[in-house]
Amino acid sequence: MNYFSLLTIELKKIRRSKILLILFIPVIMIWVPGLVNGDMIFDTGDIPIAPENNFFIQGFMGMAWFMIPASLVICTVLLTQTERSGRGMLKMLSLPVSMGKLCFAKFTVLILLSLIQMIMSVTVYYVCGTIAAEIYDYPLLLSFTDTAAAVLKIYTGAIPMASVFWMMAVLIHSPVCSVGAGLASIVPSVLMINTKIWFLYPMSYPFYLLMVEYGRAAEGIYESQIRWIPWLPAAGVITLGTLLIACIKFGAHERR
Amino acid sequence: MTTGIEHMKLRKSGYFFMFPAGGLLASAFPAVNMIFRTEMFINSPGEPYRILMNANWQMMAMLNVLLSVCGACLMYYIEYSENGAQKMEVLPVSGGNLFLGKFVIAAMELGVLIIIEHISIMGCMLYWFPSHGIRLTEFLKGIAFQWFAGLPTAMLMLLIASACRNMWMSLGTGVILVFVMSVFTQELSIFSLFPFSSPFCIYESVVENHYLLFFLSVCAVETAVFGVGGYLFQEFRRFIQ
Repeated sequence: MNYFSLLTIELKKIRRSKILLILFIPVIMIWVPGLVNGDMIFDTGDIPIAPENNFFIQGFMGMAWFMIPASLVICTVLLTQTERSGRGMLKMLSLPVSMGKLCFAKFTVLILLSLIQMIMSVTVYYVCGTIAAEIYDYPLLLSFTDTAAAVLKIYTGAIPMASVFWMMAVLIHSPVCSVGAGLASIVPSVLMINTKIWFLYPMSYPFYLLMVEYGRAAEGIYESQIRWIPWLPAAGVITLGTLLIACIKFGAHERR
Repeated sequence: MTTGIEHMKLRKSGYFFMFPAGGLLASAFPAVNMIFRTEMFINSPGEPYRILMNANWQMMAMLNVLLSVCGACLMYYIEYSENGAQKMEVLPVSGGNLFLGKFVIAAMELGVLIIIEHISIMGCMLYWFPSHGIRLTEFLKGIAFQWFAGLPTAMLMLLIASACRNMWMSLGTGVILVFVMSVFTQELSIFSLFPFSSPFCIYESVVENHYLLFFLSVCAVETAVFGVGGYLFQEFRRFIQ
């Protein structure tokens, strides 16, 4: 079986899982406060930021800090549970399927789900931004190019984190322990982005990228330039290393 | 008896490791914050306990809530995997009592978690604010308050986990509720009284705003309502699912 067949099968497995609903609800919940409470957009306190930038940053803050990592953790549970419940993995092992390829196909589905959530986020941002602009009579939407670039950057920055979560889900056989470790690792990212070794902590990447956007929109809040070095090499090594470990160890528990 | 059964079921699941490990991770937050921002906190006005709680409790409470979510999911994951729930039905124990037994364990583990975190806060107070001393009664009241404020969340999460056969469904719901409540609750407001939000409230802020008794009463009512709901759901689950 080639990689694309496996990918199609994996997508079929999650077809009735309602995962898109789980990914969609937080996207909606992010923008509701912005619509209901206009003061949150226009009352920027001492921070020198335009309301349209504030609307964008405040909305995506919760996503970048908490919901993107948490969604990835939930998706890893879904993807591992499809194999572990009903002894699915044993059945897969009896087929002429490369475990490495299967593992990578599942990881691709994880990234695809993240991509779908990204498209949902941008769409809902534009819908809510248009409604809020009508209510408050102020143009609250950023240009599509700026929005797409910023959001794409944040979600691309989540790929190393996704590979770490995926490795944890593969290595830790008890799903709850891998979830616990994944969710617990989200919390310190607020602390980590303020340290010099933030680039070694993949869970903080999306939040770091958003804070850089914040720094660009409001001078003095945070850095305004991404420190590509040493971030990029570190992120590359973490992504490839964790993915390689996951592909090697996938199904090892059932093969014993 | 049911609490004993639940304890035995959870013994090898990693549940009893998860909470102290989470407690130790949370304990690191005040210490790390103090090490990196010593001057800022030492020069802040007010009581050391309040300074430390204001600076760290949001992160610690988030970890506590997430652990409550994971703990509840684990409790019912071992129940639903391999048809454990159906096997329990043939035993002379009621599902409702099992639910309450699970809650007793969840509440005890939450207590362990909060005590570990407060020991760390006390350590930071003694090390970085030695001249202030510790008002032990207030400190113990703080522990009791944070524990009590976490009970509605633990109970509601157990109710959600008991209703979902797929663990990722209960996990997803729990995580969304954590997220939604964190979006709505930026400061002390009506939303602070809701489960998933009340654990973020700090004892001193509630006392200062004169609604300690009201807050605790609401938490007690919520815990009782979700408890009765969970008990009844378990008693009639076989007719529903």
